[in-house]
Amino acid sequence: MEKDRMISELVLLVGSENVLSSAMHFKLYEYDASLIRSQPDCIVLPTSTEQVSKVVKFAHDNKIYVIARGAGTNLSGGSVPIRGGIAIVMTRMNQILEMDIENQRVIVQPGVVTLDLKNLLAKHGYLYQPDPASEKVTTIGGNFGENAGGPHCLKYGVTSNHVLGAEVVLSDGQVVQMGSKALDNPGYDLLGVLGASEGTLAIVTKAILRIMPKAEAVKTMLCIYNSIEDGGNTVTAIIGEGIIPATLEMMDNLTIKAVEEAYHVGFPTDAAAILIIELDGLKDGMERLTERILAICREHNVREIRVAKDQAERDMIWAGRKGAFGAVGRLRPNYLVNDGTVPRTRLPETLAKVVEIGKKYKLPIANVFHAGDGNLHPLILFDERDKDELERVHAAATEIMKLCAEMGGTISGEHGIGLEKLHGMSLIFSPKDIAAMKKVKEAFDPLNLLNPGKLLPETEKAA
Amino acid sequence: MSNVNQLASALKEIVGEANVIQDPDRMKAYAVDGMTPKAVVNPGSVVELSKLLAYANSEKLAVVPRGNGTKMAQGGIPRKLDVVLSLLRINRITEHDVPNLSLSVEAGMTLAAVQEKLAGTGKGSFLPLDPPYTDKATIGGIIATNGSGPRRYLYNTARDLLLGLKAVFPNGDIVAFGGKTVKNVSGYDMTKLMIGSWGALGVITEITTKLLPLPEASATLMVSFEDLGKAGSLTRKVLHSSLLPSAMELMDGKAASQLGEEGKYLVAFSLEGVGEAVERQVAEIGEMGKKEGGIDAKVLKGREDRIFWMRVRDFALASKSHVILKSNFVISKQADILGNYENWAQAAGIDCAFIGHAGNGILTTYIPENGVAKTDPLVDLIGKFTAEAVKNDGNLVAESCPTELKAKIDVWGGPRTDVVVMRRLKEKVDPVGVLNPGRFVGGL
Repeated sequence: MEKDRMISELVLLVGSENVLSSAMHFKLYEYDASLIRSQPDCIVLPTSTEQVSKVVKFAHDNKIYVIARGAGTNLSGGSVPIRGGIAIVMTRMNQILEMDIENQRVIVQPGVVTLDLKNLLAKHGYLYQPDPASEKVTTIGGNFGENAGGPHCLKYGVTSNHVLGAEVVLSDGQVVQMGSKALDNPGYDLLGVLGASEGTLAIVTKAILRIMPKAEAVKTMLCIYNSIEDGGNTVTAIIGEGIIPATLEMMDNLTIKAVEEAYHVGFPTDAAAILIIELDGLKDGMERLTERILAICREHNVREIRVAKDQAERDMIWAGRKGAFGAVGRLRPNYLVNDGTVPRTRLPETLAKVVEIGKKYKLPIANVFHAGDGNLHPLILFDERDKDELERVHAAATEIMKLCAEMGGTISGEHGIGLEKLHGMSLIFSPKDIAAMKKVKEAFDPLNLLNPGKLLPETEKAA
Repeated sequence: MSNVNQLASALKEIVGEANVIQDPDRMKAYAVDGMTPKAVVNPGSVVELSKLLAYANSEKLAVVPRGNGTKMAQGGIPRKLDVVLSLLRINRITEHDVPNLSLSVEAGMTLAAVQEKLAGTGKGSFLPLDPPYTDKATIGGIIATNGSGPRRYLYNTARDLLLGLKAVFPNGDIVAFGGKTVKNVSGYDMTKLMIGSWGALGVITEITTKLLPLPEASATLMVSFEDLGKAGSLTRKVLHSSLLPSAMELMDGKAASQLGEEGKYLVAFSLEGVGEAVERQVAEIGEMGKKEGGIDAKVLKGREDRIFWMRVRDFALASKSHVILKSNFVISKQADILGNYENWAQAAGIDCAFIGHAGNGILTTYIPENGVAKTDPLVDLIGKFTAEAVKNDGNLVAESCPTELKAKIDVWGGPRTDVVVMRRLKEKVDPVGVLNPGRFVGGL
């Protein structure tokens, strides 16, 4: 369909106040937090399920691509409209529809900002557990579409473990319910496969989330190391000892320095690594567990341990961790972050190899990682304008993906495949595995109109 | 398939003569809703299983996968049944990564055997699933039917535990999804899709799961009540506290007495974790129970503690239940719905026992054989139960049901709007209708 006609038809459907179509707007919605850029043909900001349904039906009837988008903080090109089409931006659907405390559920529209919800729940003494580092700006819809993680996922699971129901718009505009406030609804777990589907299967217009009472006690420890291996081995030893803390987060020297320069949270800039360990739960026995953990740290040559004395000290530590990407981002014009994940016991050797890869391609790599999950975040620093450097960045990123696959891990732990990691899918899946996934795509979206070209490589054919 | 002998020789070609059962007497044990299969096959490897499904697909045969058969009375009446496919010979632990706390195990191994192995290795770990039929239930059957038990209150269910799985699709494709990392967003989360899919999309052959370290200490606390409202109030107070029991079951007096316990209503808590926390919770919840008007409290430890929970899980066996109904609904309504169910069952003159996961909004109704003599009032009662659950955001599934009753109710409960996608998915993955035709939601 001709672009001008598409835009005027969409204006008729949702009103001109909810349609953007200037060159400047196209520029604003051409990117996410990856390096990929491509403009939509039209931008719609619906305010209701009915509007989403109308737009999707219109797109379906006219065979126009549809790309759903939240805050655009995703890291692998997932929300970039690489083949044009209509970008449906969910940020105006940002109402918390129901706080059902007695049933421990909340119902939200997809554009609700994650931290806003958490702050509101905190007033009632409840928690929504997933805590992606970008929670200050990310939306619940985006978190679910990417199946976002975060430090506390070690103990509490990722976003899809906390989304129990949804209202979704199917690729033909039909509105259906999946799951509910109740657990164990009969039928295929369609909601389960929707998590991390990157907007390729359906568009969520309401989500029912699990909330839980705040933990009675929290203990946060900052452990400082002179060697990154010692930090990694501490992680393996803690889990091996049968202790599963709420978080086990690590960062390397380059990251520590960047964080300290940006936020002044008191991290020692000469440390090779810091490990943030947090325990939560009942207060009983927590002191004893803490002592056991600290003994393990000492066995692994910890240089210094700081136990947060109060909420303010805890917040300071977490401000440093959650601001790490932003801080590292100040070091060079660009960074590319991988999120390959390995079995946690193989983290130290994987890390050593990541350092080698950095040396081989002459690229600085800062490392922040969810150590307890085996989830790496090597941030490769560079300048996009230097074409030679850019090529080396992509080569290094691909090599890190391969490394994670070889270690028995996977190419993406929480940022998604999007477009950026499509070429890595064959490292971990056979053509038959991918053919099986394609059947799911075809069942949900027979015309391939929802976020085309993402997540599943096009060329793979079943043997 | 024109000829039963032709079928048998084709199956024997794939799995060997000794692994095909055709004797009509022996096959009776494998009947589904009164339909006897033409053959039972026991593949010894995933490759054999793949060949069997590819053959069934090309010959348009209907295949029912089976572990130890504890769930065979659940599901719709099959549209067709040619071959029962046993997973019992595909039963090894393929990888136990002790320091990584992960396990890969094949479908035919029983959960009991898995737990025994895990408890005895290193510092000891466990797979935190406790579905019914403790001794018999196989890993494949548990995952395919999304089995769970009382301890899901703390440990959640398979969708929260599994890291990956392997399956064979109806076209014979051997596929692997997920992996062994605790985080993974590479490709669609096919693992979740396969959990609870009732062998109607593919046959699960192996799973990879997280494990947890064995808890340092455990105990059971039971508080009995005369009044259901007060029992419900205790469960709600615990639910909204920061206390962390691993199970919180609310049952009626009939269920309690069959478990050898007293009281008109009984709330049972399982407490696991570090010793200090177990002790404190026993004391604190005991106090809360007293305050709510509990008339008696009892603590079990050690062997007694373990056996009690096994008997709760396996209640269907000991009570010789003929009809088992699982209702789900919003968590705050546990006691209200139990009260309504009790009243309606009494009015209908149907003998029911009730046990519910009070922290999860799940209530199971057990009806013994003599309760089923009167089919019409039972059909009405199930209709009422279902409507009540649906009104409270849930549904009702018949977990065990005689064939004649299946014809009169929807064993998968009230309709859902997302069946449209389920149907398209089934048609894409299994266009011939090889796997469990007619047994799953929406007659899929």
